[in-house]
This record gives sequence, structure tokens and C-alpha cells, in this order.
Amino acid sequence: MKKYSTSGIVFIAFFLAQATAYTQTINWNNIHNNRQLVHASVGAEYGLVFGVGYSYKLTDNKFPLVATAEYSFPSGSTLTDDFKTKIGGQLRLAQLGDFRFAVKAQGVFRRYENDLVRLANWGVDCSGTIGYYRPRWFAGAEAGFDKAIATHFKHSHQYREEYPEVKDGWYEPATGGNFYYGLQTGISFKRYDLTLKGGNILAQDFKSKPILPFYAQLGCNFRIGSLGEK
Amino acid sequence: MIFKNYFLVPALLTFVFSCSTKDRTITGPGNLVAKTVDQDPGLPAIQVNNSLLHSEAFGPAGATMIVALHGGPGADYRYLLPCKDLAARGYRVVFYDQRGSGLSQRFPKKSYTAPGAKAMDQLYDELNAVIEHYRTRPDQKVVLLGHSWGGMLASGFTGKYPGRVQGLIVCEPGGLQWKDVEHYVKDSRSMKLWSEVLNDAAYLDQFINGKEDQHEILDYKMSMLSSKNEITGEGAFDPTVSWRDGAVIMDALFDVGEKYNTDFSAGLNDFKKPVLFFYSEKNRAYPDSWAQRITAAYPSVSRVKVPGVGHDGIITNQKAWTGTTLPQILTYLSTLQ
Repeated sequence: MKKYSTSGIVFIAFFLAQATAYTQTINWNNIHNNRQLVHASVGAEYGLVFGVGYSYKLTDNKFPLVATAEYSFPSGSTLTDDFKTKIGGQLRLAQLGDFRFAVKAQGVFRRYENDLVRLANWGVDCSGTIGYYRPRWFAGAEAGFDKAIATHFKHSHQYREEYPEVKDGWYEPATGGNFYYGLQTGISFKRYDLTLKGGNILAQDFKSKPILPFYAQLGCNFRIGSLGEK
Repeated sequence: MIFKNYFLVPALLTFVFSCSTKDRTITGPGNLVAKTVDQDPGLPAIQVNNSLLHSEAFGPAGATMIVALHGGPGADYRYLLPCKDLAARGYRVVFYDQRGSGLSQRFPKKSYTAPGAKAMDQLYDELNAVIEHYRTRPDQKVVLLGHSWGGMLASGFTGKYPGRVQGLIVCEPGGLQWKDVEHYVKDSRSMKLWSEVLNDAAYLDQFINGKEDQHEILDYKMSMLSSKNEITGEGAFDPTVSWRDGAVIMDALFDVGEKYNTDFSAGLNDFKKPVLFFYSEKNRAYPDSWAQRITAAYPSVSRVKVPGVGHDGIITNQKAWTGTTLPQILTYLSTLQ
């Protein structure tokens, strides 16, 4: 079996996050008017999830690049034990009339805790979006892959009562990965975009599905600043 | 600069070494979940029907045999060990982890589902083989003591072979006919969308995935999901402890049940001996009306409601065990002599 240090993986994930950052649902036909977006969302994605985000348009040339940072957490009685952060970017690669094709790559750091274990994971989420974008509305389709690259396990006293020899630490190879595909749409008015997206989630073996085998997100973007503002 | 490198290089190497993932794969035996009997020869085991089972027996070898059947499907007998008290009272008490469960040998999912409607026969044949393994004389009496899924298995076996069982003790089986099983599972797992338990269960799926027969991963994920249930009381207010879950057999038997409507009550009309039936006060999915509905399948039954405990507490709660469950079992066993 291949032997390597997890610190290497973490470095790569972090580098990807810094280099390509991006995310949230964007109307590519009105992003040119503003440089910054703040974003809030609620939806279902491995649980009932709430999220906030911030995007900053780095370039506005032929290939607009938007850097994004996101934070989301699932509901529950303990709100701080589970969360996911994404840092990355989305790049509009092609435009034909009102049709656009964009790709995104995000570095992911997520945490999970229950009575038995605390997990910390570094991963990467990559996807592509193709859609029809008008100034006041848009509709498109997306497909992507969310890979859990390296996961750190720290088990509780309760789990060790059941299995004292459990091994804590970083685990390899990659502990998980899920494909997702779906549709997204939205309307834009004044400085706001109301967005809706949803679709299916399928595990990397193309057979099994997660407990919640779908995702859905209702989001709101608020555009701030105009082009040229820094 | 040289000083810095002298410091930095060892520090970096130490960090890299501490992060080394050597021997830590989520599929590796013994890493996240306990090894099974085929992986650890030091565990007590018996070989029956081409399957290596984790098993122990206590008490006089020739005495009335009480076979303890654990829940799940896919759980293990660790939480049933208070039943060892029966060995001190002169009974032969047999424990075993069913195939694909606990620390017993694992098999592919298809091996459970391939027999179709006869899938349960593998488990009935296995129970029969366990009894024969420990039997020391032909007239040795056999009493089955099943908890939850184990109660369903015990009832199904008794209905199929009524002459092979001299006594039946059942603790809170979800249902005996499949529509009742589905109803109970739905009731006992009806968690709120925004609850911590449901979100804990679902959120894990983005961290760990397992393919169909990757037992180590799937068993580990199952152990994360089955740790606590405030509706039935499992792990919530009664202590419960296990060795390892068997996710694949659980999944397979639910698939088979849904497809073929497995009936664990078939043939019970032919079992005329008294049945001792326990249910718990604090399992909100098991009210009196449900206990009455389930026990209607037994021609002769005594129902005992165990106060102050939930599903597992019937056996795992020391106060309930010594105060209610054990005395009732001893009284029942004395009537079989």
C-alpha cells in the first residue's frame, strides 16, 4: 500500500483552496456590475444546513474569476460541533450569447462530532455549471464531486469503552467522496439575487447513497460595491 | 540560516512522522472496529454450518440450556451478559453473535439475500446448530431468550420447530409480521428534521463512504448511528454497550423483509407452552396496546411491563434486571421443570 504523510495532502488541499477558491450560486449576467457579494442560505445537504458566504470578483476580463469563502453548519442542539468551510473560486470559462459555462474548485475543511468521535477532514469540491443567464433571471445545471481526502479521528471515552484499541489519528487513503448533480435557478432585482438549487447525491461507488440522498438550497445574494470600488 | 535549518528540518520531520498514516486505513482490521473471530484467534469461537461464530457458554453443561439471542439484526451479545446470572442459578447459558453480527465472521451481502424468501432459514439453521453444538444429552431442555430482533428470531425458530424448544422468553420484539416491523421501525426512528441525532447521522456521509461489502467501514458507520435513541431509550437513559455492529446483515435482512414480508409468527399456533414476554415502560414506541398486538401471536403468554427503563434496560439496567426481569425469568423457568 502506498505510504505517505497526510501533511502533504493537507498542504495540497490548502494550496488548491488558495489558488482557485469560489462558490455560491451566481448570476453571471449581472456580476459585472458589482465586485462583492454576501450570501446567506438554508437548505438540505447532509442535514438541515444554514450557511453564509462572501465573494469577491478578482478579475472582470474575458474570464471572470470570483473568490469565495463559505461557512455552513447543520441544525441540532449543539450548533458548533459540526461545520463546513469552503474557500475557493469559480471561473467563467466560456460564453456564447446568454449561455455561460463556469467551473469551480474549493478547498474544504469540515468537522463532525457526536458522543463517540470527533472528525476533522480536508477535502476538495470541484464542479461545473452550464446555464442560460439573463440580467433578471437565470437557469442552469451543475455537476460536481466532493472528495473527503484526509480525515482525523479522535474517539471519545464512550467509544473506547466499547473498543479500547481503536486507533486515533489521520487515516488514508481518502475516506469518502460523493458525486452531486442538479439544477439551479434564480431571479435578480435591485442588489439582490434569490437563488434555488437542488439535485441528487450519489456515493463514489455509483451505487450507495447517503442517508439524505439529495440536496436543496434556497439562497440570497446581496451585491455590494460597484465595479472599480475596492 | 543554518541554525534555522537545524531546527526546522527535524521539526518538520517530526511533524510528518506524527502525521504518518501507516497502518491506518479505514478498511484495516482492528483500526476503527474490533476484529472478528476469523481475524483474532484469541476470541472464543465455535464453528457451525461453515461459519465461525463468536460464542461462549456458562453454567453446568448438562443443565437446561438458555440460548440468549441478541438484537439488531447485526448487534452482539455483550449487552446480554447480565443473563450470566442464570448460570449461577444452575442453568446452562449460551451466548453467540449471529452470523455477520458482533464479532462473528462476516459474509457478502449476496450470501444473505440469495436464498430469497428462505433467507431466514440460514439463521434458523445456525441457531439449531448452536444448540446441537452445546447439547450434551438428547433430553436436555432448551429455552430461547431473545431481545428485540433476537425475540423475532426466537419466535420464528419456535414457530418453525415447536418441538425443539421447551420455553420461550421474548423481550420487546418490534413486530412479528413485517407490516408491524415496518410500523415499529418508523415509530421508533421518527426523529425530527432539525434534531441533533438526525443531523449527526446524515452529516457523517460526507466524511466516510463504504462500498457494499466493506464491513469495517459500514460497521463503523452503523455504530455511529445506533449509539442513542431517545424514543426507545437505547443508550439515552439506560446504559448499553456493544462490541461491533454488523451493518451488512442488517441491511440484507431488511431488504429481504421488505421484498418477501418475512413472517416471524408463522407456526406459533403450534407452540402451546407458555411464553414470557417483557416490554418496557419508557419505550415510547412500545405502549401497552402495541405489546397486546404483538403478543396476540402466542397461544399462551404472560406479559410483564418493566418499570423505569427503555428498550435495552429490560436487561442492561441492573435495578430492573435484579428487581424485575431476573426474578420473573426464574419463576418462569421453574414452571418448565
